[in-house]
Amino acid sequence: MSSIAIAVRLKAPDPAAATALSTMKRISPEETPDLLQRYDYWEFTGIECTENTVREIVEHFDDIVNPNKQSWSFTPSGGLPADDGDHTSAGVLVTDREDSISENWTAILKRRGFPVEKVMHSVLWIFGFSREISCTRLKSIVAGQAVTSRRDAGLLANPVSQTVRLILEEQAGDLLNR
Amino acid sequence: MSTPLVAVIQFPGSNCEYETKAVIDACGMQGRIFRWNQWRELNDASPDAFILPGGFSFQDRVRAGAVGAKERIMDFVVERAGDGLPVLGICNGAQILVESGLVPGWTSGSVQAGLASNHIEGRSGYLSRWTFLKVSDHAQLVSPWLSYLSGKVVPVPIAHAEGRFVFFPGDAGRIADCSALVYCDENGEESPDYPINPNGSTENLAGIMNPAGNVLAMMPHPERAFWLWQVPIRTPGEWGDRRISANHSTAISISRGPGELFFRGLAESLAVTASEET
Repeated sequence: MSSIAIAVRLKAPDPAAATALSTMKRISPEETPDLLQRYDYWEFTGIECTENTVREIVEHFDDIVNPNKQSWSFTPSGGLPADDGDHTSAGVLVTDREDSISENWTAILKRRGFPVEKVMHSVLWIFGFSREISCTRLKSIVAGQAVTSRRDAGLLANPVSQTVRLILEEQAGDLLNR
Repeated sequence: MSTPLVAVIQFPGSNCEYETKAVIDACGMQGRIFRWNQWRELNDASPDAFILPGGFSFQDRVRAGAVGAKERIMDFVVERAGDGLPVLGICNGAQILVESGLVPGWTSGSVQAGLASNHIEGRSGYLSRWTFLKVSDHAQLVSPWLSYLSGKVVPVPIAHAEGRFVFFPGDAGRIADCSALVYCDENGEESPDYPINPNGSTENLAGIMNPAGNVLAMMPHPERAFWLWQVPIRTPGEWGDRRISANHSTAISISRGPGELFFRGLAESLAVTASEET
């Protein structure tokens, strides 16, 4: 069984990312990244699922990628894209514990005959730090903003209804520079 | 005694705030809309109760209610809720109260519930329809919003995509403590199946409250069922019968619907007399 992941982002500045960053600055001004970007993260799993399969899906369904307003790229499953950027980056992958979007797309793709056993939709938040930052400090900021434990602490995921995976890769700034 | 002031908090993207103010006024209280950035004015006005209306605050960016919960104006709402003042969150307002940690409020300030995407066999995604509700035994005794719903089954509409109350598995034993409103059929019978439970909510919950009962977060919209003419004519049960009876009467324009019971309860708790109602 192989999994192919793609990250989809708006070509224009993402208002959700802008709102999230300004909210982080308000609730914890010392614990914010310099940049924040938001991606729809899709993972397609199937025995015969290949990059060509996913490319065909993307070209066929503009609900997944609307080429007029979104761009996309393959992403290592469970990681950030290979980097050559100037930023130190980290990712927060937020997934609903029970998700109709993923279930519905799984059913649609199976019905249409694509070799996909499972679709998982998540939101990938990429934190970018342009300044020198220690790994410990980076982890502290990302982990602190990832989960809403209290009204005044954390933002990106509700710990009851969503799961969070932290993706920590220094100098993985490729996504931020697109 | 001065007319009680009920603050309706308007976030960017709220809706129904004007309808909510209107029904408050109709119940003999004074409704006043405060924008999310009028926290100083809210503080100065010192309202007697608060309502967070429905809508899509901040366009549901990040997650429904997540950004609104962190606004400065919520500092004051949280503080006054702690003092025991009545707070009602309707739909998106309920999502804000959950993200604020005001409900279920087992551990003060902690986020201990979620309003997840609708997810039930036979239906997913955004749903707009009428539902039936009944109040839990404990809630009708402690909640200022629910005292008039004792023993009643009321039709109230929902319109949401994220209305499924969920909790940590370890909290299963105390969900009943926060249960305020549950979905049921017109006879008051509960079912975990669609459409009686329209969104897969845990324990058929339509609304939850804090331990003191003064804070209520509910997904249905009582302000959209305040007048009898708002009730669909084919609604089964008592309220549908009332609607049919009133259909050709001039009185239908002023007859109260099931949603009024929520606001009448608040008015009574704030000592508004019947003569002050319009």
